[in-house]
Amino acid sequence: MNRLLFLSIGFTLFIAASCEPGGPLSCPECPVNQEGRDITGPSEPTAFLLEAEVPDYMPRPILDESNPMTVEGIALGRRLFYDRIMGRDSSFACVDCHQQDKAFTDGRALAVGVGGEESPRSAMSIVNLAFNANGFNWDGSSEQLWEQAIHPVENMLEMDEDWERVLERLRLHNDYPGRFRAAFGINNTDQITREMTVKAIAQFERTIISADSHFDRFFYQNTEFLTEEEQLGADSLFFVENVPVGVLHPGCGHCHNKPSFGDNKFKNNGLDDVARLDDFIDKGRGRVTGSRFDNGKFRTPTLRNIALTAPYMHDGRFNTLEEVLDQYEFGGHGVENEDPNITGFSLNEREKSAMLAFLRSLTDETLLTDERYSNPF
Amino acid sequence: MKYISFFALFSVLFVLACQDDDYNPTRSENITTTIQFRAEYDNTNLAIQSATYAYPTGAELKATLFQYYISDLVLLAADGSEVGLSDIELIRYEDATADNIEERTYDVPSGDYVGLRFGLGVKPDLNATDPSNFAANDPLNENEFWNANARYVFAKIEANADLENDGTFDTGLSYHMGSNDLYTTITFAGNFNIDGDGDPQLVITADMLKALSDGTNTFDIADPDKQRVHGGNQAVATEIWGRLVSQFELSLQ
Repeated sequence: MNRLLFLSIGFTLFIAASCEPGGPLSCPECPVNQEGRDITGPSEPTAFLLEAEVPDYMPRPILDESNPMTVEGIALGRRLFYDRIMGRDSSFACVDCHQQDKAFTDGRALAVGVGGEESPRSAMSIVNLAFNANGFNWDGSSEQLWEQAIHPVENMLEMDEDWERVLERLRLHNDYPGRFRAAFGINNTDQITREMTVKAIAQFERTIISADSHFDRFFYQNTEFLTEEEQLGADSLFFVENVPVGVLHPGCGHCHNKPSFGDNKFKNNGLDDVARLDDFIDKGRGRVTGSRFDNGKFRTPTLRNIALTAPYMHDGRFNTLEEVLDQYEFGGHGVENEDPNITGFSLNEREKSAMLAFLRSLTDETLLTDERYSNPF
Repeated sequence: MKYISFFALFSVLFVLACQDDDYNPTRSENITTTIQFRAEYDNTNLAIQSATYAYPTGAELKATLFQYYISDLVLLAADGSEVGLSDIELIRYEDATADNIEERTYDVPSGDYVGLRFGLGVKPDLNATDPSNFAANDPLNENEFWNANARYVFAKIEANADLENDGTFDTGLSYHMGSNDLYTTITFAGNFNIDGDGDPQLVITADMLKALSDGTNTFDIADPDKQRVHGGNQAVATEIWGRLVSQFELSLQ
């Protein structure tokens, strides 16, 4: 009898192990029942008007008709953004590379994923994505923001998780199914999809607006003044309207015009000296388009909060803004697809100091503690 | 008699039900019409970055950007009326993977036409608007705007030049032009009919080289003072703008 009982238990454990979807779920809030279950509760999401949240001096936000924003979708996305349930063994989240106190970057030269390995590129700041008309990532490899959110989950250098396992955890969770129903009107946990998940995250990310820097309070809100040094950096160095004939000039405003301070276009800004366009180690935009003429081109990012987002460039090669300024002062290398506005220039120490002071005026302190973007847990 | 009335009513309802909702014999039909904006360099298809172009001074160029705004694009009808197609368009060539043709599609009433007109640049009332009124993907976005005084950049020509013929394209050329004073209306005459049956293809061609050189007068790109025109030094590029205005062509193909 004991032997029969022992065999029965052993057989049951064997069958149970066979049904295991592939490793532990590591989800303490997940019930053991793995069947799809009905979801009850509110199911009619409330439309969210992003334009009403954007200061009138910023561009009007670009609407994504494939992902209309709702109050409930944003709330869900915010939780998912901060929840490590999204990463391998529930141990990594979007926030690990996009931290609010660093203007949603990570302070590293190269992003580090769940396994401790470095990605080939630096984590981008994710502020003001609603004004980006030109795809996402350094190379524009994702056309829509919600599409962008798919790949970090499954990239082995980032969150290194199988989407099916993420969805399984979300479906089994005590809290998330009701939130998915509230955001997307679904009736059963089986209806939770990858697309809903990334769309919710994208909805939250779109709400992150950075537009309350010292510069904004001077130039647009008219409540503060620039220092003399900041003013020198702005008027005679950064912006490009009144350049004397023949004078080489930083002219940052060509690509980093106000108020977004980044045109999101793909350019070779003269970092690498290559003999041929095929010689770029990181092809950048060229890997996406397949054109060698796009090799070595990367997105022009925003300079908003630039003092908080070191190290700099797509590969984090510069630790300080001083190094960045030195690079642009040097100019490019005469590579044929460099942006023609990369000319090199000469600044004295006072002018360099002024330029740096102006760049630091772009820090939005409000962003860093804005509860709308903070960890909801 | 009762049955005749009923039959008549039914017939009317039947006819109404079968009638095309859009049928209106007094209104001219709209035809979906595409206008092509073609870019060239010295009468050849402009290829961004991938082609090496001879410049009249002996230098060579690789084009990186050619763009311009047009405002108030209208067709001139044979009856003297005008058909407005667009308030503003930004025509841009900057992609090495794209061809040299930008297309815009409009609904055009069928009929006889005798010409086409547009303003080169951003017309004054739009030039008085602020980029924050528009989405970042609107033609009037912030990246084409200087500041509250200088307003929008009407046209940009950018290239990298090999001045020494040493195989390196290491001299950047960047000509950004615009101001209300430069806004210029361009009118083309040409008879054509649009009725949806064998309509001509309207092609507006702009030649980047012809803006820099007319064969007799050539902009001196070797002069360091003439390699960048941005905002305040517009006078340097006066001759480029003048040639840009005068070189547009309309063809009916």
